[in-house]
Amino acid sequence: MITIDNIHKSFGEVEVLKGVSLEVKAGEVVCLIGPSGSGKSTVLRCINGLESYDQGEISINSRRVDTHSKDINDLRTRVGMVFQRFNLFPHRSVVENVMEGPVFVKHEPRAQARQRAIELLEKVGLGDKVEAYPSQLSGGQQQRVAIARALAMRPDAILFDEPTSALDPELVGDVLTVMRDLAAEGMTMVVVTHEMSFAKEVADRVCFLYGGKIVEQGNAQSLLSAPQHERTQDFLRRVLNH
Amino acid sequence: MDFADISAFFPILLKGAVITVQITIGSLLLSTVLGLILALMKLSPVKAFAVTAGTIVNVIRGLPIIVQLFYIYFVIPELGIQLSAFQAGVIGLGIAYSAYQAENFRAGIEAIDAGQIEAAKSIGMKSRLIMRRVVLPQAFRITLPPYGNTSVMILKDSSLASTITVAEMTRAGQLIAASTFQNTTVYTMLALMYLALSLPLIFGVNRLERYFGKGVKGAGK
Ligand SMILES: Nc1ncnc2c1ncn2[C@@H]1O[C@H](COP(=O)(O)OP(=O)(O)O)[C@@H](O)[C@H]1O
Ligand SMILES: [Mg+2]
Repeated sequence: MITIDNIHKSFGEVEVLKGVSLEVKAGEVVCLIGPSGSGKSTVLRCINGLESYDQGEISINSRRVDTHSKDINDLRTRVGMVFQRFNLFPHRSVVENVMEGPVFVKHEPRAQARQRAIELLEKVGLGDKVEAYPSQLSGGQQQRVAIARALAMRPDAILFDEPTSALDPELVGDVLTVMRDLAAEGMTMVVVTHEMSFAKEVADRVCFLYGGKIVEQGNAQSLLSAPQHERTQDFLRRVLNH
Repeated sequence: MDFADISAFFPILLKGAVITVQITIGSLLLSTVLGLILALMKLSPVKAFAVTAGTIVNVIRGLPIIVQLFYIYFVIPELGIQLSAFQAGVIGLGIAYSAYQAENFRAGIEAIDAGQIEAAKSIGMKSRLIMRRVVLPQAFRITLPPYGNTSVMILKDSSLASTITVAEMTRAGQLIAASTFQNTTVYTMLALMYLALSLPLIFGVNRLERYFGKGVKGAGK
């Protein structure tokens, strides 16, 4: 579904992606792990064209991702994204946040979009917050609205960039539960995360990124319990012990 | 000051006040439209637009408003475009204030978190839709208090139109004073009438500042 073939990306003089390749099949859950600055966010952002890449190729269902093509907006309706800092629209209510894409991008009738938005909010456990504003919600609630907003576009895949990193520890669980349900329903997901237990339980595959390269990837169980590469071992030791 | 003078002068000043309000509203609208265009040009990724708008803003800011009014009233007609004093006043003040409006709008737009735009892109919104649905509504809330302040300044500076013979309130006052020599009465009345127009506006702006300054529901944060 998502094919990343040997992409390179520099910011100015600094090459932050040095040949990343990754194949994500429909229905697969792939977790990207790695130290801060290793290029995880940049990989995700290249997939939906928020960043351009310099070399190599990314394609989604065999369509090339090109930030500057007219096609990019259509591709983005097929690949949702959930951000670390939620990025809800603060001037719109929760239900309006979720309706925004269906109504203004897909031109669905308002009543129908609203009905479905409410269903999605119920699904993420926020059926009672439909008319609230983002500033009235906890971080965990905001992130679940953001997931509903992504789902409202009926995407083929969703990218998650550290969706629980900005949350108080007691709020992480609700968000992970929603993500676990999505995975169980067969949603294709690429998840940047530091939640190793989530990765172990949910991911079909885990990729360890270091210095702009995928140093090691494999089955979640084996990579997390028996990492082969020294860098991976180091990283996991630090994350799991802290 | 006697009451007969006051009641004789008041209707004349009031007529001037109507024109003052008309100039203020006219140039406020014009400066809003021009300011928005200049702000969007300045933020445009197209270098030529950004440079052009930056140059225009600097030139306007570098000129005294009164010189701009003279230029429009006395020079433009020589190019064959006939303007009434009132039209010249509105256009001159509108252009003069468009530079300040542009800076207000630009600051408001730039205050929007980049994450907002990324979130909008990630649901497939095109840049014009993002402007309309995400950036401008939030920038509007941020821009409203400085916009109110600009309105107060335009109201006061509309008195400059008296220098190009527009019969607004200040000019009405000057004319009465010149023919009656009742300087104290006339100019006290003039000052009070300006305050009657500007103070409500100032209080309104203060309220807006308080309202949007706090984390009001729905306001940008
Ligand atoms: N817009 C940018 N401009 C310049 N450098 C950037 C930008 N975005 C990311 N970087 C740099 O690229 C590297 C990888 O960043 P990122 O993909 O965010 O890493 P991660 O998500 O793994 O922490 C970092 O060194 C970061 O400083
Ligand atoms: Mg990151």
